[in-house]
Amino acid sequence: MPRGKKEDTPMADANPRPLPREKRFWDPYLAGLALGIVLFAAFALTGHGLGASGGLAHIVTETQGELAPEHVALNPELARGVTGEGGILDNWLVWMVAGVIIGGLLSGLLAGRFKLDTYRGPRITPQTRWALALIGGALCGIGAKLARGCTSGQALSGGAVLSAGSFAFMLAVFGGGYLLAYLLRRWWN
Amino acid sequence: MDYLLPLDLAKLLGPAGAMAVVVLLGIGFGFVLERAGFGDSRRLAAQFYLHNMTVFKVMFTAIITAMALVFLLSGLQILDFGRIFVNPTFMWPGVLGGLIFGVGFIIGGY
Repeated sequence: MPRGKKEDTPMADANPRPLPREKRFWDPYLAGLALGIVLFAAFALTGHGLGASGGLAHIVTETQGELAPEHVALNPELARGVTGEGGILDNWLVWMVAGVIIGGLLSGLLAGRFKLDTYRGPRITPQTRWALALIGGALCGIGAKLARGCTSGQALSGGAVLSAGSFAFMLAVFGGGYLLAYLLRRWWN
Repeated sequence: MDYLLPLDLAKLLGPAGAMAVVVLLGIGFGFVLERAGFGDSRRLAAQFYLHNMTVFKVMFTAIITAMALVFLLSGLQILDFGRIFVNPTFMWPGVLGGLIFGVGFIIGGY
């Protein structure tokens, strides 16, 4: 890649491990175009958009249904999730998540990026990063449950079909993120 | 007026075939996300520290592309928009969930 491309400092200086070389990644606009085509294909073939958190939520709910059926029976939202007879395998979102894992793995393998690593901010240990990832992931789970979807199922898919709520969700995600990031910026930079 | 899309996959391919198509869509989704660099949490977090705008560029290009295709084909009466799932709006749960999600994103991606 020619040096001095117009945009986006790679942050290599601030990081103990530099970002993977940018040239291996697709141009963001081309990647966006490709993602848009995949998203449209999902609508055209299935009538639904793409999703990520729903599949994971379903796996967790079904597992809870197996382990603690009394608890699930008392909670309408959980009970709604375990009504399917075939369990998790009847749920298309679960299959989509399986596909996402395969697709990501395939792309990483083909690009020679497949390795075990703990990506982290410039000033924290891998242990802290894992702990924060768990906490952050739990918060994302709560947020996605409240909002009926995550950045994939709500923001991306709903945004493409002009759902007002999806745009409100999107703005809130960036609002919450930017607010906290602004407060934490000294630790990151 | 018969619309060509969306397909009724369960009828065309059976339940297993429909799930296979969903897996393929998931593979496409995961592949593109990885190619865009979204496998790296630092790149995702960088969006929020304004170091790197990849997330914005990818996400909004994708939304606009899919939106254009969906509404073009429904305008041409090829795609039946009535059978497309549009996320129902629950404004305040959505906004609160979004704020929590955004905060989780920053904590988790750090």
